[in-house]
Amino acid sequence: MLELKDVHTYYGNIHALKGISLTVNDGEIVTLIGSNGAGKSTTLRTIQGLNKPRSGSVVLDGVELHKLPAHQIATLGVAQSPEGRMIFPRMTVMENLEMGAYLRKDRTTFNEELDHVFSLFPRLKERISQKGGTLSGGEQQMLAMGRALMAKPKILLLDEPSMGLAPLLVELIFDIIKKLNEEGTTILLVEQNALMALSIAHRGYVLQTGEIILSDSAKNLKNDEMVQKAYLGVE
Amino acid sequence: MKNIRSGITFGIVGGLLTFLFGGWSVVIIGCLMGVGLGMGLGAKLERKDPVQIAISVLPTALVSGAILVLLSIYQNSFVQEAIGKHPVESTIVLYGSLLGFLGAVLFTTLLAALHGLPEKREQQWKMALLALLIVAFPFVDKLTSLRWTAQIIFALIFVILGLGLNIVVGYAGLLDLGYAAFFAIGAYTTGILSSPQHGIYMNFWLVIWIAAGMAAIWGFMLGAPTLPLRGDYLAIVTLGFGEIVPVLFKNLIDVTIKEPFTCWILPGIINLFGAKTTMACITLLEHEDLTAGEKGISPIGRPYLPFIGEFKSSDPIPWYFLIICIIILSVFIIRRLRDSRLGRSWMAIREDELAAAQMGIDPVKTKLAAFAMGATFSGFAGAFYAAYIAGIFPSVFDFSASIIILCVVILGGIGNINGVIVGGLVIMTADRLFLPALKDFLASLLTHTVLPSISNPVVQLAVKDNANPILYRFLLFGLTLVIMMAVRPEGLIPNEQVRAELHSAEEETKE
Repeated sequence: MLELKDVHTYYGNIHALKGISLTVNDGEIVTLIGSNGAGKSTTLRTIQGLNKPRSGSVVLDGVELHKLPAHQIATLGVAQSPEGRMIFPRMTVMENLEMGAYLRKDRTTFNEELDHVFSLFPRLKERISQKGGTLSGGEQQMLAMGRALMAKPKILLLDEPSMGLAPLLVELIFDIIKKLNEEGTTILLVEQNALMALSIAHRGYVLQTGEIILSDSAKNLKNDEMVQKAYLGVE
Repeated sequence: MKNIRSGITFGIVGGLLTFLFGGWSVVIIGCLMGVGLGMGLGAKLERKDPVQIAISVLPTALVSGAILVLLSIYQNSFVQEAIGKHPVESTIVLYGSLLGFLGAVLFTTLLAALHGLPEKREQQWKMALLALLIVAFPFVDKLTSLRWTAQIIFALIFVILGLGLNIVVGYAGLLDLGYAAFFAIGAYTTGILSSPQHGIYMNFWLVIWIAAGMAAIWGFMLGAPTLPLRGDYLAIVTLGFGEIVPVLFKNLIDVTIKEPFTCWILPGIINLFGAKTTMACITLLEHEDLTAGEKGISPIGRPYLPFIGEFKSSDPIPWYFLIICIIILSVFIIRRLRDSRLGRSWMAIREDELAAAQMGIDPVKTKLAAFAMGATFSGFAGAFYAAYIAGIFPSVFDFSASIIILCVVILGGIGNINGVIVGGLVIMTADRLFLPALKDFLASLLTHTVLPSISNPVVQLAVKDNANPILYRFLLFGLTLVIMMAVRPEGLIPNEQVRAELHSAEEETKE
């Protein structure tokens, strides 16, 4: 469904992605793990069109994303719950969710999707008229994910959904990711919490300083000696 | 007790204002004071029985009315003499004071009592009362021969400009420092299309739309290359544009436009082959004085309506109702825009451009729409202004005009329609009514009372020359802005979202 081929992305002179190739198939959870500065978020930003690759291609169902501006990529069914959440702080929870459905014009499916989001995140329903900026970190994460879901995306990009959350909340969020996937959403999950990510993903890629050094099924990666040492903290 | 104190403050302020304007002004000041005081008091009270509220605020209303009338009578008997005018006839004083007192008491209790009604009914009543005041104002003004309407019209022009700029600055969050340029484009379009300058006399009702369209087109043309810029850079570009446009209009006095193909390209090609050209060059315009430079264009055609006839400068009432209609139309359109998909995407862009793009909003298109829409309203204002003044001069549209419009938006409350209307009225009535009246008052007070008692001629001259508040106009504007930013940065009537952001830090520390 989504395929990156030899993608090179730069920040000015800094070579951030040094030829990334990866695929995400329909209905999969694929995780991208790696330490700080490995290029995980940059990969997502490149898919989203916020950074343009200098060479290589990003293809979604035959459409070349790397040639399109960000807002058009969104119309093709790519939604992201961004790192640092990037919700609209001065809009209410409801308005944020409405913005997520900006591209959809029919009211009935909007209500369905809204019910769906509220069934996943009942907390958001309680906070419906509160300003996004006044929510707690966990609630903001839920809002960012909910907003991405409102677009009913073909593929959902999640950037560090566990960042800065209490362990109990992390488990909740990952349960929801799993549930979403069972409902048929394809997910590309970027995580530092490799243990959690590998426990729900089907396949995984390990990213190091802009290059993919390993790719395998999640189960094999979990048992890989190098991964265990570097990312799972097993001696 | 607190209520009585605000009643006393209102009474004193109102009373001092009668010092400046004298005569019948006490009637209008009394009514306006009552409205302000009543709304202020009502908002603080709990919703309960209207009659009870009325009784509870009645003492305050009586106190403020009494102070107003006492000061107004004092003005007539003592202050008039001090500024060298004869006291007004005692009948006028009597009736004026009586009406002013009644107005103050009635409106205070009425507006406070309205708060006792359910919220929706309260709004309806307030709207009805507001409509009544708006309609009655020019006639009361005419009866009392205060001549305020003509000045209020200027304030209302700036209200429209503020509403337009509010779309750009308030909704889309783009700082535009050259907004007066679009005002100028609207005004000059009107000037060129309905004046003896070119012998074109188009109907005002048509020209006003063309002017708005022209302003929108220029908003689009300026926006297209510059809107990918962000924040400060955009502000600098608009600043430049605002400077260029008045200079351009000042210098478009000798315009020659030749058709490029027949004048340069064809002869050029022929010359290349060494042949002598004898082609007739098609000239579209030759030495045409487009804008009359510093002299300005005048007279400019005026609107005409059946039954009313042509609008005249001597009678401001038709103009007043025309601009009120334009404002109502603008507010209606802007409200619909704000609540539309486009309005939502403006706000998303203002909040976070990247996140907005991820939602599928095209940032450049959205910003362009904001620029063009904002410019459209200044086109309306420009056309009205040109027709009302019946003449336009490039100096009116310089940088200070842009800044005053920005002040209107900031003082009133960024992003809030009602706030911008109040901001425009406050700033422009202060500029057009209050300062000139204060100047006259000070000048006559000085010549009749203060100056004769100063013996040193140097000091006398210095005092006389400097006691002109109009000289300090921009100082006062600046000071107001500084104080506003320090005390109430969200504006007089703030937008909820802006207030939430500005005060979120305080709330956090309170917790």
